Amino acid sequence: MINLDHVSFAYPEQGPSVNDVSFRVEDGEFVAILGANGAGKTTTVRLIDGLIRPTAGKVEINGTDTVTSSVSERARKVGFLFQNPDRQICKNTVREEILFGLQTVRGDEGEEALRARCEEVLKDFGFSGDEEPFSLSRGQRQRVALASILAVEPEILILDEPTTGLDYFECCHIMDRIRRMNEENRVTVIMVCHDMEVVLDYAKRALVMAGGHLLADGPVKEIFRDAALMEKASILAPQMISLSTRLGEGFEDADSPESVADAVLALRKGGARHA
Amino acid sequence: MHNLFQYVPGNSIIHRMNPITKIFLTIVICIAAFVSGNLLFLAGLLAVDLLIGFIAGIPEKTLTIFKGLLKIAIFLFVLQILLVRGGTPVFWIITDEGLLTAARVVLRLVIVCMPLALVLAVTRVTDLTNSLVQVLHVPYKYAFTLSTAIRFIPQFLEEMSGIMEAQTARGVAFDKAKGLKKFSMILPLCAPLLISSVRKTDLTAAAAEVRGFRLRTRQSGYKRYPFTILDLGAAAFCLLLLAAAILL
Amino acid sequence: MIEIQDLTFIYKDEKKPALQDIRLTIPEGGFLGVIGPAGAGKTTLARAVSGMIPHHYTGDYYGSVTVNGMDTVETSLEDISRLVGMVFQDVDSQIISPVVEDELLYGLENFGIPREEIPQRIDEALQKVGIADLRERAVGSLSGGQRQKVAIASIIALRPRILVLDEPTGELDPRSSRQVFSLLKELNEEQRITVIIIEQKIMLLCEFARQLAVLSEGKIVRQGDTRDVLAHAEELEALGVNCPRVTTLSRAVSVKTGEEQPVCLNLDEAEAMVRRLIS
Repeated sequence: MINLDHVSFAYPEQGPSVNDVSFRVEDGEFVAILGANGAGKTTTVRLIDGLIRPTAGKVEINGTDTVTSSVSERARKVGFLFQNPDRQICKNTVREEILFGLQTVRGDEGEEALRARCEEVLKDFGFSGDEEPFSLSRGQRQRVALASILAVEPEILILDEPTTGLDYFECCHIMDRIRRMNEENRVTVIMVCHDMEVVLDYAKRALVMAGGHLLADGPVKEIFRDAALMEKASILAPQMISLSTRLGEGFEDADSPESVADAVLALRKGGARHA
Repeated sequence: MHNLFQYVPGNSIIHRMNPITKIFLTIVICIAAFVSGNLLFLAGLLAVDLLIGFIAGIPEKTLTIFKGLLKIAIFLFVLQILLVRGGTPVFWIITDEGLLTAARVVLRLVIVCMPLALVLAVTRVTDLTNSLVQVLHVPYKYAFTLSTAIRFIPQFLEEMSGIMEAQTARGVAFDKAKGLKKFSMILPLCAPLLISSVRKTDLTAAAAEVRGFRLRTRQSGYKRYPFTILDLGAAAFCLLLLAAAILL
Repeated sequence: MIEIQDLTFIYKDEKKPALQDIRLTIPEGGFLGVIGPAGAGKTTLARAVSGMIPHHYTGDYYGSVTVNGMDTVETSLEDISRLVGMVFQDVDSQIISPVVEDELLYGLENFGIPREEIPQRIDEALQKVGIADLRERAVGSLSGGQRQKVAIASIIALRPRILVLDEPTGELDPRSSRQVFSLLKELNEEQRITVIIIEQKIMLLCEFARQLAVLSEGKIVRQGDTRDVLAHAEELEALGVNCPRVTTLSRAVSVKTGEEQPVCLNLDEAEAMVRRLIS
């Protein structure tokens, strides 16, 4: 469980700040944080992991104030996938990279167990283990970064624009894997993401931010249907939601091309009956 | 830390001075600090340094730089008084000569480093290199190398702290380590940084080339750097400083 | 006009061609979107059009690229650059000046733009991109999105006839990305500047690009009017290029109603289609 209690943060110079933000995330949730550039999304997720400390209020993970322990100690519980995988990858092969992450936080389990875990993860992600990370594509490097974080089996996964710069396949690979972690292992996921179609497809709850404030908090679909809110937060809702909002009656529940097409069909049949 | 070397926009007389004058002033302060051993004069020079920062309208930054240097200075001071063996003992193993030498060394260090950092804060690097090319006829290639090097300092530091943050988040205990230990932890993680830096310099060269790098001549710069009454005043002040340094 | 004929390029020290048998014509005043999975050769194509290949990046080069009648191999990089402006994918490497205004000055100075014209060009470029307030700022103090806009402004100030942009909206949120595309549309329509844009955001390409080229493994697998290319949605998806939801919708409706529907490229078209069907 993650709990933010009236959290504020201001950078010493400029930069987006966070202003009196409170919310609570239960175990196993999949939450997206939405907003325009500079709304305070990244600052918020950095506050959650304690990479920066709130200037007011407090952040609790499983009931403990994050200031009482260090970020590196928290790494066993909280995994953080950054936008740029190159800042994380520091070893010459994928195997070493994953092993390094394991040794750092699960060193007490003994070399044997960690090696076994490493091979398991390699197999799961379809890596041979001998690949050189820097000769892989950006999307593949992001998968290496994700693999080495998931290897540790964190309870909470924080993602800061994990799919930026990736093509469609790479994006699906990453997001599908994250969804599996969320559904099968009940890993709590908090994600900052600019691609609203991805948010609609994967996240269940959305927090909307603007100018450092939390504007709204609710189920993804309800949030996207609130046109006034979208306008205020400078967000463009996913296409099918915008479309069904425009179409109105008969399309209230349609949020995918399939369901919109079904609604069209239903209305046509209904129309035929009237005629 | 990121913006220690960063330009701060402004319109003070220091900002408006010719970049060449600013470099000249910096050099004169350095020479003066080494010509004179008079502690009072050195203290005066230090005051000049601080005054320049205040006149330039960047008191906070000036003090940040000063405090940073002070830390190194204190360390050096202690080292000096323990090492210098000549002179009469004053207290324990500390001698009067040791105290004097130590004071001189640290004062000089601070006096010399301050204006170097301040010049970058009140002068755009582009103005610095353009004036070097236009006024002092430095070949543009060298000037370009200098300006890109300075341009990349903040980026390099940003990348470095990004890497440290990413590694801390995955459990590397940067947040608990201090000083040398921290440094030794960073080194092995620098491989990605070096790889990306090399890749970037080539791209930067390409970016300069497609915008006419090779067409640039000494006269290409849009801005001109004439010397004004302000620079004359600064030059007079420099001579005064030099004279005082030699006399005192 | 840009004409690429049977272009094959292999980077020095590499075995696999980055581009293979590329044949592509972009008319003057065209607006071409280039899309494809990672490693398809999109950036290499941009470099070939802007003359960086073969002038900066060397390797085995077959075929030809002509820009307004000039063969890029025989023309100097500088002469090509006067015509073709290139916005890099990695903005941090593109920006060479520490202060925003100086970044805009750089190209203007080098290409010898008359002094009296320079201030106006800078004002105009900053304003068009919407960053007039950042003029004096240190580049290091800007956010990724702001830097991206600086890079675009510095190229627009040069008033190129052809603009090549390599994923220029990567760091931007959806609204700012749309602003960049609107700006490109304006330049394209009002000044007939040819635009070639590499982009992963297919939704924006569908709305703004008149032509699309789909690259995969160094080859062009589809090219033509955007709507015609999108008609092959399934083929594109198999290559790893997704389609906008509105396009998927028109396909789903065609299948479900058994009546062939025209491909929808944007919300307005989709809305019109649905209203027509249910009225």
